[in-house]
Amino acid sequence: MTTMTGWFRGSTIVTAVVAAAVGAVVSVSVTGRAGQGQGREQTTRPAQTPDGRPNFNGVWQANNEAHWDLEAHDARAGMVMQQGVYPYEFAQVPAAPVVALGAAAGVPGSLGVVGGDGRIPYTPEALRIKQENAEHWIDRDPELKCYQPGIPRAMYMPYPFQIVQGTDKIHMTFGFSNAARVIHLDAVELPPDYTYMGHSVGRWEEDTLVVEVTEFNGKTWFDRAGNFHGEGLRLTERFSPMTPDAIWYEVTATDPGTFTQPWTIEMPLYRRLEPSATVLDYPCIEFAEEFMYGHLRREQLVERWEGETMIVDITRKIPPGDALHDWYRR
Amino acid sequence: MIKRRLIGSLGVATATTILMVVSFTSAPLEGQAPGATPWGHSNLEGIWLDVYATPFERAPELGEREFATAEERTARDQARMVNPGRNERSQSAGQDVAGAYNAVFTSARPAGPRTSLVVDPPNGRIPALTEEAQRQADAEQEWRLMLLRNTETCQSAAPGCNGGEFGPPSPSRFDVSPFYNTSRMNRHFGPEDQSLGDRCMLGRTPDFNGFRRIVQGQESIAIGYDTGQGQGFQRVVYLSGTHPVTQIHLRHGDSRGRWEGDTLTIETSNFSPKFPFRGSGANRTLIERYTRLDADTLEYEMTIEDPTVWVAPWTVRQELKRQDDMQNRIYYEPRCHEGNYGLPALLIGARMDEQEFQAGRGPDPFSMDTATCVTGLPE
Repeated sequence: MTTMTGWFRGSTIVTAVVAAAVGAVVSVSVTGRAGQGQGREQTTRPAQTPDGRPNFNGVWQANNEAHWDLEAHDARAGMVMQQGVYPYEFAQVPAAPVVALGAAAGVPGSLGVVGGDGRIPYTPEALRIKQENAEHWIDRDPELKCYQPGIPRAMYMPYPFQIVQGTDKIHMTFGFSNAARVIHLDAVELPPDYTYMGHSVGRWEEDTLVVEVTEFNGKTWFDRAGNFHGEGLRLTERFSPMTPDAIWYEVTATDPGTFTQPWTIEMPLYRRLEPSATVLDYPCIEFAEEFMYGHLRREQLVERWEGETMIVDITRKIPPGDALHDWYRR
Repeated sequence: MIKRRLIGSLGVATATTILMVVSFTSAPLEGQAPGATPWGHSNLEGIWLDVYATPFERAPELGEREFATAEERTARDQARMVNPGRNERSQSAGQDVAGAYNAVFTSARPAGPRTSLVVDPPNGRIPALTEEAQRQADAEQEWRLMLLRNTETCQSAAPGCNGGEFGPPSPSRFDVSPFYNTSRMNRHFGPEDQSLGDRCMLGRTPDFNGFRRIVQGQESIAIGYDTGQGQGFQRVVYLSGTHPVTQIHLRHGDSRGRWEGDTLTIETSNFSPKFPFRGSGANRTLIERYTRLDADTLEYEMTIEDPTVWVAPWTVRQELKRQDDMQNRIYYEPRCHEGNYGLPALLIGARMDEQEFQAGRGPDPFSMDTATCVTGLPE
């Protein structure tokens, strides 16, 4: 019986979605083995670098639900939902793209990371677009296509990232898609084009690293809930040491075309304390190929099965304006 | 039809051989001495580039001579300038499009002092393949030629068909390729039939062509590569710890560095089989050495070993020149994938060709060369 094989072949789209969602679980390796006494040793990293700055060198990761939705939200039964028996929004059930994954495909609740009243101050038009984005999450979220995640999103995606702290530059390498950013502490010319990851210029204010991020191209999102921005986005990030192993991370976002006023998110970033913590790559371009190009194959891999074999019949209609080339030109 | 398809295939594809023309800094920069980091390591920070064009392997007639004469460098520069393939048009629209990237688009670095990037073995040539690696290379080549056999490329005995011959389409042409494909082939059933470059996954370690930005921390070092066309990548070199267990396979391997005096020595293993370098996949190990020679020169040496592919290790050496930090001319945001119209356009074109053929309105797709891009172009 080839049920399992068939199931996996048929649910390739599902797999792509879920791979993007849960990949982080396997993204950090520990080469030391349990039982050798290595696992419980504290890192001996000094709290400051020799040039007197807080020591941010190492592997870091957010540990929260911000990557799902920056705003406060209840737990949800599925990443993609549809109306169930009841008409109430709170009684929705998982929809086709994730229903085969059961309780592993839900969304955890969160108190949110947005300051003030907990809501992003969208203009009325931007709020409408945000709601549309949420409805068409699968079609529009750049993460599902393995596009550059942008800042600040890369900072709290569920993947570890590396900080390499030089004297004139600070380099961050993200597990997701091998993305990176360079924070320039010295003078540097502006990039010749707008960017996904922004242009980061930093300075030390006592023990806080303050980074101004500009030159965004407006194609990145904040999370999986459709929260977005335009080309006018400007960020001020503040990295403040809480302990040698935790950074308080604050970001103030300004974009007059999208938001009625500046707003702030804040969260701790945690050091990965495994003695051999390593940022393993999450090379997702190929993971997203079936999702993006599967319909262009000579022979489709997604099929409909019969008999005892589970049938995952996915209808994925891309709304007008959300096809790949439309998205890029937006 | 041909035009559309070729444009599709050129979208990213040609990028694999193209570097943008920029003004390289080879003159000394002022005001930035090498020195050391505050924690006492030799300072390697900056943007670095091999500003010269150097043959990867040495011409056999040069024997063990590592450096070129001034006359030889001039001759190499002149030969490149008059290479007709760089700026000529043909009578065929398809060939014309395929050759549209001329010297305006391709980088033209001056000939460098070295006769080859490979410096060991002393003859500057990569050691022989093992029997098994040669057998695999032959099988791959045989597969690619099989898919070209019914095309004009083979009919006209063009360079793209070297080693093959013209004939009817092979009955094997619908099979799954008998190896994990990473290069272009004359078939486009799905992404797997395309090259890694066409799929925006060209960057692989080691890399000798691109810009490198080194950011240096006390316990790890980041190297950002700007190579290909938006197909760069990031590496983190850990200055402590050991390689992970052998079940871990990473696109750019796991890099562990140590300081040997003022030389940074990096050992890299745990490579993924999906991103091979010259046929060497998961079994390769690298030893790289970076040494700051002066304010503007960084010596780079790389020794690669893979006993399943080559009968001996071999070594490349480059002298990298520091580029202006203020100008910051490095594309540190590889974003090929984000605008890759080429891949879906190529697949759409292939499906349309199949439909036209089935409807009796077009030629057999296997009679058209949509892979080599060099049909009939003079060498």
